[in-house]
Amino acid sequence: MGWFLGRRKTTDTTWDSMSSVSRMINGFKRDGEAVSPRRNAGVVYRHDDGIPFMASLPEHLDGILYDGPSATKTGWEIKDDDHGMRWAILNDGNFQDLLSSIFTVSNAIKMNGGGQNLLAAVFEFDFTNHAVNHHAASGSGFVHAYLIYRFDRNAYYPFVPTGENAGERDRETERMLGTAVRSAGLKTENSLTEWLGLWGIPF
Amino acid sequence: MNTPQSVRKLKRDPGIVSRMYLTMLLIGVLYGIFGYVMLRLGVPVTFVAVIVLGLAIFQYFMSDRLVMMSTGAREVSEEEAPNLHAMIRELADRYGMPMPKVAIIESSMPNAFATGRNPDNALVAVTTGILQRLTRRELRAVLGHELAHVANRDMKVLAISNFFVTLTSFLMTMFFFNMLFGRRDSGGGSAPLLIAYMVTILVYFVGKLLVLALTRYREYGADHTGSEISGDPGGLADALEKIAMGMDYIPDEDLRRLQTAQAFLFAPALRGFAANMFSTHPPIEERIARLRDLEAEMRHGYRN
Repeated sequence: MGWFLGRRKTTDTTWDSMSSVSRMINGFKRDGEAVSPRRNAGVVYRHDDGIPFMASLPEHLDGILYDGPSATKTGWEIKDDDHGMRWAILNDGNFQDLLSSIFTVSNAIKMNGGGQNLLAAVFEFDFTNHAVNHHAASGSGFVHAYLIYRFDRNAYYPFVPTGENAGERDRETERMLGTAVRSAGLKTENSLTEWLGLWGIPF
Repeated sequence: MNTPQSVRKLKRDPGIVSRMYLTMLLIGVLYGIFGYVMLRLGVPVTFVAVIVLGLAIFQYFMSDRLVMMSTGAREVSEEEAPNLHAMIRELADRYGMPMPKVAIIESSMPNAFATGRNPDNALVAVTTGILQRLTRRELRAVLGHELAHVANRDMKVLAISNFFVTLTSFLMTMFFFNMLFGRRDSGGGSAPLLIAYMVTILVYFVGKLLVLALTRYREYGADHTGSEISGDPGGLADALEKIAMGMDYIPDEDLRRLQTAQAFLFAPALRGFAANMFSTHPPIEERIARLRDLEAEMRHGYRN
């Protein structure tokens, strides 16, 4: 029967895919590479006043992030960018807390009628040159890159902007980084044409 | 071919496999009917077929030498290119196939190909450009893909299909000159000839399209078998991204434009479907996507 039913598709949940970023960090560590996440991360979405939860997001964020014994107590702020999109920017020195807060916030938006408005979650990293390109000498500096998780694709890709304008990005580094993060265990977007940029990330 | 135990077998995509066999069947049916119609119309198709077959057999048996002549490939000994030889030998041993001849082409264009009528008479050639641009891992995966063409006997399959295309193109030329210069001794004589000419033109184009489709399926097949040979579909995907796609595929567009456009253009449920229908999805990207699936299957035992 399987012959004409086609191949089995496993659909990973948002959390499975989004949390593959910590699998990636462990993957790099196992290979002896230093990879450091920065304190800030963000969720970018299209704001809609017609969605009550979104209109009162600031009140909800305090509840989501600070109430209860297992609260991550992650810092937050809301910013609008030049593209008409709104960002929930979170700040936490503990990356596991940052990751779980980013998921919790985006999940809350999704559960309260804003699923179609969610665009991406963005994390910021410093990779050693050697982690990106094994031909580079070790200890020769860092590559600063964003990892963009697209909600509609349920996958990550690297983004290395070289300027503020659309199109200004380091494609060669991104491609090499894509290979490195995929091998390290990150759920990576396979189609390069879907690696859309986000210029002027407000954090 | 007896595959050693060490080679990890990967699941075939039943869609691709069934479409490939369907295409081969259609090619057979198309030319079977074509031959019958030609004979019924009194066209000396057997005579032409014998000539074309003779040429095809000559080409088939000489393929490695002909290709080497036309591409300027130079066979290299183990002493001249020890690393390349060692890499190909390791792959061939892994898959239990004979060691092919190895050739190098002086060209900055990154490319590689395989030829030869069977695994015992195979040749794998690479350009100096590809040797310079790929990492060891990527090169090894590309060589696995080329060995897969040999293992899958793609040269034979494509030689047979091309034989039919060449046959129809011969007939087309023959009809054309016949209509230009042919004697018209009987008034009704040219009507069947005209029909035969029209049928041949049609069969030529349909056959050509089928052979092109078959070539694509064999290419997917070689990616699949090549992944088993090298055990590294990701290396091949990386190599394809590097040499065939270049960086141009990483877009200039901002992700936020997608969200604004989507709000006005498509209902969210339609987005995936519409995006697939209207996107110019290059076959290279499709190949890479499939290889990434195999990579995930190899790493985690599942496909994403």
